[in-house]
Amino acid sequence: MDLINPTVVDLSRFQFALTALYHFMFVPLTLGLTFMLAAMETVYVVTGKQVYKEMALFWGKLFGINFALGVATGLTMEFEFGTNWSMYSRFFGDMFGTPLAIEGLMAFFMESTFVGLMFFGWDRLSKPAHLAITYLVALGSNLSALWILVANASMNMPNGAHFDPETLRMTFDSFVGVVFNPDAQAKFVHTSVAGYVAASLFVMGISAFYLLRGEHRAFAARSFRMAALFGIFSTVAVITLGDVLGRLDYEHQPTKIAAIEGLWHTSKPPYEPWIVAALPNDEKQESSFEIGVPFVLTPLITHSFNTPITGMIELEDAAAPRIASGIKAISALRRYEENHLAADLEEFHANQNDMGYGLLATRHAPNQDVTAIPPEQLQTVIDQTKPDILPNVFVTFWSFRFMVFLGVFFFVLFAMASYLSLKNQLERNPLFLKLCMWSIPLPILATEFGWITAEAGRQPWTVFDRLPTFMSASTHSVSYMVFSLAGFTVLYSIFIAVELYLMFKFARLGPEAHDQHDNADPVHLSVVAH
Amino acid sequence: MIILLRCAGLGLALVVALLFAVFVGDQGPWYFAWAVGTVMIILVAAAGAVLFDAQSAQHTAEEEF
Repeated sequence: MDLINPTVVDLSRFQFALTALYHFMFVPLTLGLTFMLAAMETVYVVTGKQVYKEMALFWGKLFGINFALGVATGLTMEFEFGTNWSMYSRFFGDMFGTPLAIEGLMAFFMESTFVGLMFFGWDRLSKPAHLAITYLVALGSNLSALWILVANASMNMPNGAHFDPETLRMTFDSFVGVVFNPDAQAKFVHTSVAGYVAASLFVMGISAFYLLRGEHRAFAARSFRMAALFGIFSTVAVITLGDVLGRLDYEHQPTKIAAIEGLWHTSKPPYEPWIVAALPNDEKQESSFEIGVPFVLTPLITHSFNTPITGMIELEDAAAPRIASGIKAISALRRYEENHLAADLEEFHANQNDMGYGLLATRHAPNQDVTAIPPEQLQTVIDQTKPDILPNVFVTFWSFRFMVFLGVFFFVLFAMASYLSLKNQLERNPLFLKLCMWSIPLPILATEFGWITAEAGRQPWTVFDRLPTFMSASTHSVSYMVFSLAGFTVLYSIFIAVELYLMFKFARLGPEAHDQHDNADPVHLSVVAH
Repeated sequence: MIILLRCAGLGLALVVALLFAVFVGDQGPWYFAWAVGTVMIILVAAAGAVLFDAQSAQHTAEEEF
């Protein structure tokens, strides 16, 4: 057996994080803009006003740039599971492969086919037929995201599968169990509507830019109005689903929720404060300073006033018997592999729920083999393994807080934008328009922080409670990993530069037929302007 | 005949929507909430645009008056 090289594991993690975060800069905009295009085209079909067709065409052009780069950056990630995470793919391939394959079908057949029809079908299809195509593009892009998130939810909350001691792999039990996994549901809606927020602020920000310059005003004021209303409802949905995800983490991933809240010791309801800011120290297992709001944490997480939330220190202590039981499971499984005795299989089944904790002890076992731990060293190995069950608290705590602070900011921004737009007072508030314009990248940043919270908080597992991350990577050399990491960094940075260049270029050019529409609304807009 | 076919088509769509609501609403409440919520958000945004046109038309009429 090859010994696990922690540097290769870290580089594999860093490479996946980098490619995922780059890819996720494009995804939210695609998810949201498609439905915004559908809304604009719906108004065009219903009212017959040409300005809404121009809106759908212009924002559709920006969507097209983003879509192409999103597909390009997403392709490599699917291969990365095989190249850099072959141990994970072997262990969890049945579970992960199915939704990933459906995602491929959704993205490349449904979504891509209809995208072509959407761009080139304006003069070839009837208005209702083209509108139906636009809705199918929106549905296709969001369903594509659904299958990725179903796969991801299986890693966070394995559902509809069991470990097979004969094949040493997780085996698929129930498709319905995988698709209707509560974590998949909440994560999909949370991510999808976060994309709506990103798209709303994108449209709002660029519209604000035109309004500030006094260009394309009829076009920009309508776009701004639609985006503001789209955004305020989406933000409320994001916050609601964020609460649902927190509740699910509390029930199924207690280490993640404790790390998110910086909760070293079990909470004391109902007083326990929600910590707004702190400096968690992972090594000392304490926070050096904390600012909190009392009486908020317990109802926020547990939806009750008297249920305690288990702290990280207590979770570590509770893991000790599970580590011992997991070591027994692996030892029984090893013996069963060699002798196929029913007694060994029975002992494995008795301890199999803790097998992941036994695998977690591998790093501290002699020659990374838990079956070779002498009885007198067992307690030492367990004590060394206990702290490994926790994620990086500092990263999880702060990435969550940045996401939440930005979420609250978006709520206020969209509420003000909706109010000012409905009152037709936008152009009297140039500072607010500037704020909208400069806020364009913030939803992308918030989704990145959300992704970091979810993935860093799941550590040390790739499959929660089943397979540790350090046992999931391929056995590449360090130089191979450094070379491929450098290649991805350069390539993806070029993609980002191309995206930004094209977006700025086409946003500055603006819609093509704007002058006619500005002339169509002269009185109204002159009032709006003064 | 065309009206009859349209009614049948709409009836079929209604049955499919009801089955979708019952099954998905039961098995996957958040998926159902997403479907309903997304439609609502689109309609609200569209209504906002129509309201913009109505406000604009009203303002023009008031100016002319």
